[in-house]
Amino acid sequence: MKLIVLYLLLLKATLTSFSGLAGLPVLRDDMVLRHHMLTDRELNQAVAIGRVTPGPKGSYIMSVGYYAGGVPGGFAAWLALVTPAILIIPMLSLAGRYTKDPRVQRTLRAVVLASAGISLSATLPLGADALTSPLTWALAIVSFGLLVFTKLDTTLVMLASGLVSLAAFALLN
Amino acid sequence: MPSLRRLCAIFFRVGNFTFGGGNPTTAALQRELVEKEKWLSQQDFALCYALARITPGTNLFAFCTASACRMVGWKRALLVLVVASAPACLLTWALTAGFDQVSSNVWVAAGIAGALASSTGVLVASFWLLVQPALTKGNRLRATVIVGISIVLSLLAHLSPIPVLLIAGVAGWFWKEEEA
Repeated sequence: MKLIVLYLLLLKATLTSFSGLAGLPVLRDDMVLRHHMLTDRELNQAVAIGRVTPGPKGSYIMSVGYYAGGVPGGFAAWLALVTPAILIIPMLSLAGRYTKDPRVQRTLRAVVLASAGISLSATLPLGADALTSPLTWALAIVSFGLLVFTKLDTTLVMLASGLVSLAAFALLN
Repeated sequence: MPSLRRLCAIFFRVGNFTFGGGNPTTAALQRELVEKEKWLSQQDFALCYALARITPGTNLFAFCTASACRMVGWKRALLVLVVASAPACLLTWALTAGFDQVSSNVWVAAGIAGALASSTGVLVASFWLLVQPALTKGNRLRATVIVGISIVLSLLAHLSPIPVLLIAGVAGWFWKEEEA
């Protein structure tokens, strides 16, 4: 029963958010303040874990599930995270019928442009947090150049950056 | 049509090993699916990307489901969704269980700092790769205005993504593009 409640609370948080940490206030209200399934410290740690693990920032929900209900809670959280994604299948089928219409095509292109703008806006505070030394600036600039001007794999570029940072740390210490 | 095995391999690698959130991961998938493998057309990518942005929940998983659905159908798309999300989920659980030990390890912190710095470059590159195809002769003003207003509305006016996307959608519907 507790797992179903946990799944529904986490699903409520994911369904009411459209990006990153937007579901955090809902989650805190439900799980910390009302149901006492989680402490504020655990919620903060979950957000920190979500930032340092690969994949979407919304994956902090999986840590929340783990803190609230162990491995079964983590599984409930994973289900809550992927359930809304299934909604896109009927949406895609419906929208796919109209993609030949030039007005729909240019609307979609405008939405993609706006999404790019929104993503860039989100990058600025993240960049301020991540670019704290000449080395991190250099890694960001080189990564940008490699992705724009070569066909190198993104995962490899990020992995190499992590290794360079590690090597620099070893040299300096 | 791609084989399910090759498709799963790409979603497994990109979905579970790209740092910095959903945007760099989507950019990496665009690179693999549209530019390298050419399994997804730019038009289909735009459709999946736009719909994923207005789907509640994690945009990245919605994008993975939509793009896989476009390539191999909805049943196989569900498998791709599992492949793209479950391994990172296991990693998150493991990290949660040992958070105190891992977070205080300076070597891990140094490695992650490098990956996060790189993800900033990846995000700016993904912005450029998304915007650049729209900067054709005759459409530069339209693209620049839509991108510029979106940045102002989200960064300075702190408007949430959905109204910004709606405004852009309305502008796109009425503001015609010049033929290339």
